[in-house]
Amino acid sequence: MAGFLANFYGQIVKRNTTFLASIFIGAFATELAFETGANGIWDQINKGRQWKDIKQRYMEADE
Amino acid sequence: MLARSSLRATRAFGAARTGATRNAQRNASTQSSSGNAAGWKENTLLTSSTALAIGSVAWYYYQFGRPAHAMTPAEEGLHATAYPWEHEKLIKTFDHGALRRGFQVYREVCSSCHSLSRIPYRTVVGTMMTTDEAKALAEENEYDTEPNDEGEIEKRPGKLSDYIPAPYKNDEAARAANNGALPPDLSLIVKARHGGCNYIFSLLTGYPEEPPAGAVVQSGLNFNPYFPGTGIAMARVLYDGLVEYDDGTAATTSQMAKDVVEFLNWTAEPEMDQRKRMGWKVMAVGSVLFALSVWVKRHRWSTIKTRHMSYQAPASGNRTPYPGQMHRR
Amino acid sequence: MSLTQAASTLVRHSARQPLPALRHASAASVQQQRRHRADASTSHAQFKSPFHRGQQDSPDTTVIPSFKKYRGGSETGNKMFSYFMVGAFGGLSAMGAKDTVQNFLVNMSASADVLAQAKVEVDLAAIPEGKNVIIKWRGKPVFIRHRTSDEIKEAEGTDWQKLRDPQPDSARVKKPEWLIMLGVCTHLGCVPIGESGDFGGWFCPCHGSHYDISGRARKGPAPLNLEVPEYDFPEETNLIIG
Repeated sequence: MAGFLANFYGQIVKRNTTFLASIFIGAFATELAFETGANGIWDQINKGRQWKDIKQRYMEADE
Repeated sequence: MLARSSLRATRAFGAARTGATRNAQRNASTQSSSGNAAGWKENTLLTSSTALAIGSVAWYYYQFGRPAHAMTPAEEGLHATAYPWEHEKLIKTFDHGALRRGFQVYREVCSSCHSLSRIPYRTVVGTMMTTDEAKALAEENEYDTEPNDEGEIEKRPGKLSDYIPAPYKNDEAARAANNGALPPDLSLIVKARHGGCNYIFSLLTGYPEEPPAGAVVQSGLNFNPYFPGTGIAMARVLYDGLVEYDDGTAATTSQMAKDVVEFLNWTAEPEMDQRKRMGWKVMAVGSVLFALSVWVKRHRWSTIKTRHMSYQAPASGNRTPYPGQMHRR
Repeated sequence: MSLTQAASTLVRHSARQPLPALRHASAASVQQQRRHRADASTSHAQFKSPFHRGQQDSPDTTVIPSFKKYRGGSETGNKMFSYFMVGAFGGLSAMGAKDTVQNFLVNMSASADVLAQAKVEVDLAAIPEGKNVIIKWRGKPVFIRHRTSDEIKEAEGTDWQKLRDPQPDSARVKKPEWLIMLGVCTHLGCVPIGESGDFGGWFCPCHGSHYDISGRARKGPAPLNLEVPEYDFPEETNLIIG
């Protein structure tokens, strides 16, 4: 663990540019993951209430 | 009222005065040097100034602080029952099936008198109807074209970008057709009425079989206890089985009222689903951010907060030390 | 029954009133404390600083006390933890800032009602071959020409490299039989007249610009070809402009 941390520190954190870059890449990845996760939870809470859950019924009725 | 409140106030002063006197006496007894001659003056001053302060506050409250009711409870209308609306919960969207049913109720019942002027057909696409259904619905109505080469205005079938047409040409026509009463536009009615969803649901389902004994109902009006003034021009419109839902839900009066109320809440707040979804995300990220910011602040300040400043007075003599004399050894 | 009651009463009683000796002792301790506090406030008690060593008259201020008990974990671990917290704070802030800016930009772009009206649907089946139709789109006239095969041949056969605004016919149409363009003269904004002019296309009556059957400026003051809007054919006989 300590070896990994030291390695990580030397590789990324020590240089400001790499640290900043990793922060922004991390923010991007976090946003993607968070949006997906939050929307998933939201859809789970509201299962059966949203249009995308019920539209199948009416889409099929059209054809 | 004033007399009563001032009486109450004087009683309060009495209590305050005796307390003050006792206090003053206690103080006087502890102070051996002060004589008793000045005591009653101080007491009177204290008492009268307290009385003045409390009295002016009481007078001010009596003048300006009391709630002013413009209407009697009968004029206000019966307070609507609070119903546990599912879509009003903090993390619940609208039930879009109910929206679809409510829109059907609006089209088949409400729309003969009430307009819905802020809702274009495109907004129901993807919330309660498919594109083709909404297009077919829009094409049932005719709209004015832009002036053609001769300056004539022609009629064209509706498009998705058109707004739901009003049943009357203007307010005057609406009044003329409804005994002088103007059916309000329903786009924002949930926001525009005290009690919101509860009020509209109560109003729609609250028509008694016949008005209670002693109630005065003008001719042309109907009795509804929830309507301010109890005399409403709209008659009861929702009866069991009035519409036939395409999803097989039983169309009882309360079911139709619930559906149309939810639909009207959607017309007033079409952004609600998105707003709540975003709100929870913001709260989640924001709380983490807040905790992190507290930690970072403590981290940044830790060097400053733990700094120790030491001053040692010079050993020689009793001179007043000043900063220039600070020194280290 | 009564015995237990009596006993419990006794116990409760004794608990409420401590034994006299005890009471005395506690009172004495309170008094002692009070005296002690009074001493601290009145006499100048010495403050024993952890930074000091030596006597009062010759203190040594260079001592650094031991902070060992505050120290925990490895140095790398602590450092990484601090950097992680600061980095996560910055990253989340960047996320929030990005969303804020994005929301403002979305808010400034065209709203839904404008977008809904910005598209015009045209039924092409109603336009016979060799006919012009003018429709209004975003307040401007749009020319729709159902070109004949001769006209297509003529438009494609033109030596376009030598024109004022060189453009091949294939760059101006998606389907050769349908020419769709804004009916606004590129000179000063008049509306050109169809099926006229020296090149069998459009002619602007204001200052005499001539456009050919592909809408290219050929003669007169017009500097550019007639503009082609965004359009699409979702179905065979259906056109959406915008």
